[in-house]
Amino acid sequence: MADVVIQTTNLSKELTSSLLRRKVRILSGLNLTVVKGETFGLIGPNGAGKTTSIKLMLGLMRATEGNAEILGMPAGDKRALAQLGYLPENPYFYSHLTGREFLDFVGQLFGIERQDRKERARELLETVRLTEAADMQMRKYSKGMLQRLGIAQSLINRPEVVFWDEPMSGLDPIGRRDVRQILSHLKEKGTTIFFNSHLLPDVNEVCDRVGVMNRGRLVVDEQVKNISAGGNYKDLEDFFLEFVSKDDANIKASSNASNSTNSNCDTSSEEARS
Amino acid sequence: MTVTGSGKAAKPVNVIEPVVAIAINTFRETVRDRILYALILFAAIVTVLGIVLGSLSVGQDIRILKDIGLAAISFIGGIIAVFAGTNLVYKELERRTIYIIFTKPVSGWQFILGKYIGLCLCVAVMVMAMGAFLAMIVIALGGNVAGASFIEQIKEITQELSLIYLELLFVTALATFFSTFSTPVLSVLFTLAIWLAGHLGESLLELGKLTQNPLIAQILGIIFYCLPDFAGLTRIRGHLLYGTAPGTEVLTYLVTYVFAYVLMLLVLAAIVTERKEFS
Ligand SMILES: Nc1ncnc2c1ncn2[C@@H]1O[C@H](COP(=O)(O)OP(=O)(O)OP(=O)(O)O)[C@@H](O)[C@H]1O
Ligand SMILES: [Mg+2]
Repeated sequence: MADVVIQTTNLSKELTSSLLRRKVRILSGLNLTVVKGETFGLIGPNGAGKTTSIKLMLGLMRATEGNAEILGMPAGDKRALAQLGYLPENPYFYSHLTGREFLDFVGQLFGIERQDRKERARELLETVRLTEAADMQMRKYSKGMLQRLGIAQSLINRPEVVFWDEPMSGLDPIGRRDVRQILSHLKEKGTTIFFNSHLLPDVNEVCDRVGVMNRGRLVVDEQVKNISAGGNYKDLEDFFLEFVSKDDANIKASSNASNSTNSNCDTSSEEARS
Repeated sequence: MTVTGSGKAAKPVNVIEPVVAIAINTFRETVRDRILYALILFAAIVTVLGIVLGSLSVGQDIRILKDIGLAAISFIGGIIAVFAGTNLVYKELERRTIYIIFTKPVSGWQFILGKYIGLCLCVAVMVMAMGAFLAMIVIALGGNVAGASFIEQIKEITQELSLIYLELLFVTALATFFSTFSTPVLSVLFTLAIWLAGHLGESLLELGKLTQNPLIAQILGIIFYCLPDFAGLTRIRGHLLYGTAPGTEVLTYLVTYVFAYVLMLLVLAAIVTERKEFS
């Protein structure tokens, strides 16, 4: 069996809504295994819990129940973090630093040698087409430029695993193509990739496997090649819509059922949105 | 395109490097902020105003000028420490740049220490710049006054500035501490309140006696003993200005007190940060 790189077991997160002191479950019982070299795409409607899943895996948030292991180490372990790359959603960095300084800063946090850092920053700026803007302060960057820099910083340590939260967001068509290219290079080198996206054609093209998340739960998890091959779904969008609407219908049915039995509105905590 | 190489470029345990990186980053971010220069300009104007007032006073008393100049430096340094300090951690949280830091092999204490050192460096540079400006004016005007030599003038201003800086180290730590869990506005209020209370010094005890309420007197007494005695520090500075060197005992006491305080505040800030969740 291939090496397991990402493994979550019953990973769950509850937040206490400050206003009503009511618990809201934003992720329920996520069980997921991603093996070395695999590219996994997590898709799902806004607010489904995709970003939450990544934050839990990286240790930015702590699980209420269950756990996540990356490279065999618990979420947030420093030895694992040293080998990860992370692109946050809507990255916004330090306004008064230049792009190059920022990459150098991130490299330093990893403890990369100075010479290597400089070289790496130069390479990556080239890769994401920011060489010209490299010495400009980040407050002058456009949204897509920040996104490109975000991608570059996630690769500075030559990570074993990358977590990208919507890598294509805000990018122009050239940028999106660049990202697809970077992804395929990473794949060739055997990097494990976990990413969230709303751009289904891109997901379809680059992923080995996709998971559909809805209202805090992973509804389905399938090899991309099986999705269209089975003939049941026209494309990934069809697959996505099918599973999400089916899940919504299920939730509605079960909440109706419980409403009619004990007329307690609070039973479907997943319905609660803050 | 070389995107990855699964090379072991990163060492899992690096203790100093992240602190240095965060300190430099904080220094750059703060120093490049234009607000800072508006404040410095303000300090310069106050000092120049001091010259005008000084020349009006009898005998062109250089002491008044120095006094005003040093007060301006202390005030502006304090403003920088309070406002930059209270934003220090808060801004990283709000802009979510903290996600970048805590998904790297970096601990809470490294983050806090780096931020603190970076801001202290920035405050140091500002205090030195303003101090140099003041020294230049003092020397330019003071050359023909009294017998004070060039070296003596510089030495005295440096001593004064060191004491001012000692106080600012405390203010910066206080602001850093509050910024780990509170909004900037509240942090500014808390920091200023404690800083001012520290300046009341023994007046707090007097105030307690005046109220004739044993409970209030006791509370004020506790506050007095819990805070660094900045009034004492100001007294020492006053003596310095008139050529009396401070007693080593008092000085050692104050320096130790401030450093112990700073250490405690930073440890608390690190603990708060370490326990934080970023949602
Ligand atoms: N700090 C928070 N306080 C309250 N609710 C939160 C908080 N963070 C996330 N949530 C809730 O958790 C749920 C999942 O959010 P998450 O950001 O994981 O969604 P997502 O799938 O990444 O959505 P998107 O596609 O819009 O990025 C949402 O319903 C959101 O409202
Ligand atoms: Mg998201």
